[in-house]
Amino acid sequence: MDFSILTDQFASLTFDGIALGFIYVLIALGYTMVYGVLRLINFANSEVFMLGSFTTILVATKLFHHTIESDPLTGFKLVYTMLAMLIGSMIVSGVVSVLIEIVAYRRLRARTSNRLTSLISAIGVSIVLSEAVRMATSSAPMGSPRLLDKITLVTIWGADIRVDTLLVIVFAIILLITLDLFVNKTRLGKGIRAVSMDYDTSRLMGINLNKIISTTFLIGGLGTGAAAFFYITVYEMTRFSIGFELGLAAFTAAVLGGIGNIRGAFAGGIALGLIEMYASAVLGTQWRSITAFVILILVLLFKPNGIFGESLQQARV
Amino acid sequence: MNKKIKASAAIVAAFALSFGAFATTSASAATTVKIAYQGPLTGPEAQTGTDSIRGVKLALKLYNATNPAVKVELFNGGDDQGDDAQGGTVGAGIAADDAVIGVLTAYSGPTIAALPSYKAKGIAIVSPSATRACLTDPTNACYGAPVFHRIVSNDDLQGPALARVATNGVKDPTVFIVDDQSSYSVGLTAAVKKALGTAYEAGDSAAKGAVSDFSATIAKIKQTKSNVVIYTGYYADGAKFLKQLRDKGYKGVYAAGDGVLNSQFPKLAGKKQSEGARLTAPTVPLDVASPKIYAAFKKEFKAEPGVYSTESFDATNIFLQAIKAGKTTRADMLAYLNSSSFSYKNTAGITIKFQASGDLSGSGLMNQFVVKSGTIKLNGKA
Repeated sequence: MDFSILTDQFASLTFDGIALGFIYVLIALGYTMVYGVLRLINFANSEVFMLGSFTTILVATKLFHHTIESDPLTGFKLVYTMLAMLIGSMIVSGVVSVLIEIVAYRRLRARTSNRLTSLISAIGVSIVLSEAVRMATSSAPMGSPRLLDKITLVTIWGADIRVDTLLVIVFAIILLITLDLFVNKTRLGKGIRAVSMDYDTSRLMGINLNKIISTTFLIGGLGTGAAAFFYITVYEMTRFSIGFELGLAAFTAAVLGGIGNIRGAFAGGIALGLIEMYASAVLGTQWRSITAFVILILVLLFKPNGIFGESLQQARV
Repeated sequence: MNKKIKASAAIVAAFALSFGAFATTSASAATTVKIAYQGPLTGPEAQTGTDSIRGVKLALKLYNATNPAVKVELFNGGDDQGDDAQGGTVGAGIAADDAVIGVLTAYSGPTIAALPSYKAKGIAIVSPSATRACLTDPTNACYGAPVFHRIVSNDDLQGPALARVATNGVKDPTVFIVDDQSSYSVGLTAAVKKALGTAYEAGDSAAKGAVSDFSATIAKIKQTKSNVVIYTGYYADGAKFLKQLRDKGYKGVYAAGDGVLNSQFPKLAGKKQSEGARLTAPTVPLDVASPKIYAAFKKEFKAEPGVYSTESFDATNIFLQAIKAGKTTRADMLAYLNSSSFSYKNTAGITIKFQASGDLSGSGLMNQFVVKSGTIKLNGKA
């Protein structure tokens, strides 16, 4: 165990931890939105992320013909290429997410109230998607061309603040505020909150359940698609198994913060990013997940609904 | 039992016998034998298995296209997912098919699990990639002779070579090792550490395929002021790690073993970031070994060959050489490989012989490679 690294590299580790945390936050939103409304853990969300990450790269390589050896772009070209990648990933992820709801959950919901059945079909969808992509890519990883040059903007206490990680943080904050406003201020958002509070009563009040649920899956999918785009911008590589790796971390983040709660996903994601980074540095990377899960268990022992679960009950999606 | 039933039972038995006899004759008349590939074709290790079995398929296709007297088929099955626990069952399944006269096994763990089946039936193994030292160590319980042979050098040889190549020309080397917790990586790490002695400074373990962000590891490398970083895992993670390492301003040496030797490695890591990366491997990449076979491979599979594609191609050709020499039974095949007169000229043009333990004769082959302008170039013996 080596604590000196915390004093030596503290700023660097903290900034990297927060940047990683924001990626988790964006994926965690997909889990949290659906859980908030349906009380269902949409395990297929991780594969929505995986498909989004492939879409991001394919937009750059197939639509704009960048190769893995292309030079980074600048100016207007950079902006529209990256916007196209972001939008492409969000559309594919959003559509896939809605399709998953229609194919795997809607009929089950109509026939049985047992959530366990939906959980199994969620896992099923997840396996089908990741194995299909595994076969399509012969299990090979896919690298992304570097479009945004990783320029260090400033160095604060030895931590390099890079343009790509800063972009993730800024965009994630904008997305969170937008989502929070959407859920709390708009008519559709009110519908989502109503369904989340009481499924049956909201139906009696004339709310179109399927529409609300589809909207929720769409929003979750769009957020996950954006997460996939930012993940690729920072890490520049994906493969069929990526959903499992990041999905599990994002799900943990959602539970840590209080699943079903947007602000909880935010707190949980950042906390998890930091915990992982500090634990990897002090104990070794092999202890990263163990530390994260031990902390998760401890939090759940004292606050079974996660950090924000109880206090923000009303603010639940 | 009354007479009627007795009689019909006799007829059935006679029929079965004659049918059995008929089946046997037809099998030996139709001159087709099988070889099997036991390795990971699905699951997290599937990439290695896929690259490997393509080498097998290509060798068989080229052979069968020459209209030989004895056709050779690939046993349908053999997927052990690289998982020790599945190796035993898969091995028993392969051994149960009487047409199988030779088997290629990919991973050390599942090979060891399957050894009892192959030994019991006397089926010869030529492994393109199982490098664990114990398989050819007579004092060890997992000793594979007389059935086991391999055409790669074992981990005991690669460790010192990698240590040597990584620190070559570096003044006061301070070495940081990152492993991926796979049994290959842990074994190689131990061998490298032993060879490094006091040059070894610190290390970290990042589980294969489970880590996206190596920032913490890189922070440690900066803290220890290491000037040599050795990665002992496979190419996908090795590329991801190298890219982040260089992007964070590391200027020292990056070296890795045969798991990283893949044409995709410099592409995934980036041209600039991979420049000068040093690799060692008991193999020659297919494009270096034979541009002609490489072209055939790319045409056949529309994909790049991987780490053990060359060795799988060669291991298959060893069986085919024996079959051409008329060795079409399990016993003949095994005797052929174990005879002192056996030799085989591999794709790179190097003549291979086996020791009694199943290891390659001589000091074994270990090459070093360096990445230049986005491609891996052979840089002589390690």
